[in-house]
Amino acid sequence: MRRLIVLPTSRAGWGLLIAFVALVMAGTWPVIGLVNRATLVLGLPLMVVWSYLVIFACVVVMLIGNRIVERDDHE
Amino acid sequence: MNSPWPLLITLVYVAIAMLIGLRARAGRSMNSLEEWGVAGRSMGPVTLYLLIAAGSVSAYTFMGAPGWAYSKGIAVFYVAIYLAYLALVAWYFGPKVWQFGEQFGHVTQASAISDRYQSPALGALAALVMAIGSIAYAVLQTIGSAYILFVMSGGLIPIWLGVVLVLACIAVYLYASGQRAIGRTNAFQGVLMLIVAWAVGLWAVHSATGGLSFAGVFERVQAEHSEFLTLPGAGGDMSFSFWTTSIIVSMFSFMPPVWTQWMSASSARTIRRSATWLPTYYVVILPMVVVGFIGIFTLPELSRADTVVLEYAMQHLPVVLVGLLGAGTLAASMSSSEPFIHSVSLSFSKDVLQPVLKLSDAVTGKLARLLILPIMFLVIAPLAIAEPGSLVMILLVGLGFASQVLPAFIGMFFWPRASRLGVMAGIVVGFLITTALTTLWPHPMGIHAGFWGLMLNLPIFIAISLMTPATNAEVVERFFRIAAPRGLTRIGQ
Repeated sequence: MRRLIVLPTSRAGWGLLIAFVALVMAGTWPVIGLVNRATLVLGLPLMVVWSYLVIFACVVVMLIGNRIVERDDHE
Repeated sequence: MNSPWPLLITLVYVAIAMLIGLRARAGRSMNSLEEWGVAGRSMGPVTLYLLIAAGSVSAYTFMGAPGWAYSKGIAVFYVAIYLAYLALVAWYFGPKVWQFGEQFGHVTQASAISDRYQSPALGALAALVMAIGSIAYAVLQTIGSAYILFVMSGGLIPIWLGVVLVLACIAVYLYASGQRAIGRTNAFQGVLMLIVAWAVGLWAVHSATGGLSFAGVFERVQAEHSEFLTLPGAGGDMSFSFWTTSIIVSMFSFMPPVWTQWMSASSARTIRRSATWLPTYYVVILPMVVVGFIGIFTLPELSRADTVVLEYAMQHLPVVLVGLLGAGTLAASMSSSEPFIHSVSLSFSKDVLQPVLKLSDAVTGKLARLLILPIMFLVIAPLAIAEPGSLVMILLVGLGFASQVLPAFIGMFFWPRASRLGVMAGIVVGFLITTALTTLWPHPMGIHAGFWGLMLNLPIFIAISLMTPATNAEVVERFFRIAAPRGLTRIGQ
């Protein structure tokens, strides 16, 4: 039992895990350092635009996740 | 401010919230833990969306976040990002927690911990220490509520009276309708906050720039104070490491009220659907933060940064909008304090008093309802009236501790070998480190104290778990049939 852990069991599951990790990386260092500039995009600071891109990307990834979970029928 | 309208509007909001809270009961008996604690596991996706959203958007959004924008700048957006990540956490863990609750009868986080590790002592320990952060959080929100009543009444309602009034209103509907009241009132408060935030934000932008675009505000900030648009911010104290570790620590702080909210859903699928759209709610933060940026130019001498929106509104906005701002801020404070008060009462009854006094479920259900009264009036009210200077410190330690319970969840969702002693050792060491690095040597190297705690907590948890007996295989199997319905993976062989 000591070597048993929970990991994704399908390619779609691994894809979701990678997407979740990518989202967390997108909102933290070092990625956040790349957008740390005092420039405006569409009238908003780049950091604000990036923050909301990450936030809405979370919605998109979860929508895809819902399709996978419901298709595979595992609650 | 001499107009009676702001206070009237704020009081009308309180009356509506009370009415909604009282009606939420709809003739049901509230003496069982299932009903009063988790609303009979009945909440649909829209109610759950607004329940979680309004619960996570506290007075911080209307006061603290604009204050951060005013004093530090863009660093405030770490909050919006971690709130979105909490939705990812809810999406993955929420449905599994709901299934644990539904199949094993859990109504609190601590009862799930107690069951997984077959240790009422560990459950009670988790309940007690989680209560520290929860009570500190509820006290801070109550202070915010009383302050709003003080400002809206032009000083007629002193802080002590505001504290008593707000707690009395919450006590009435929380006692009567429990989690159903929290669900319904949070739904109302969530919609109100969204409308008020955007109305106040757009009006403030119009009064400051003559237009409705935020661009005018940010172009001026860029030209005159560009340090507000990047990290480490105008205060120079929000480094990349603090930004990153604050987000990670906040993400892994599984606060008990959130757990209770997940268990109140009507199905596992409901949680997933609500969590999916949850990040969209956090557009509520943007207009309030913009008012904070406007304050940099219009209120340069402000002594308390977190009053920037209220001060700006009272000087530049119509009285009706000031009243709505009061109602919106009060809604934010109340919607965040209610779940914490409810959760402390529920968990203290179920996970501490029931096993110690060997109470039946029926008596425990009645006790949970009654316990909100001493918690509110003997603990929260005196603390809120006294406003101890160390309260923020208690809150930081409490929230830092919340993340130290992570090993208990790793053992529940990912690693069957996790043992009771391993979890206890990890929690105790992580708690001591977090306490020391919050109070004695705050956040060394710009890294969040809770993150330092986790870095020692996790290796100790793994090492002690491997050296001590695992939980009964039957119990572990019962949990992992839900946590890993498609089986476990063997690593290293």
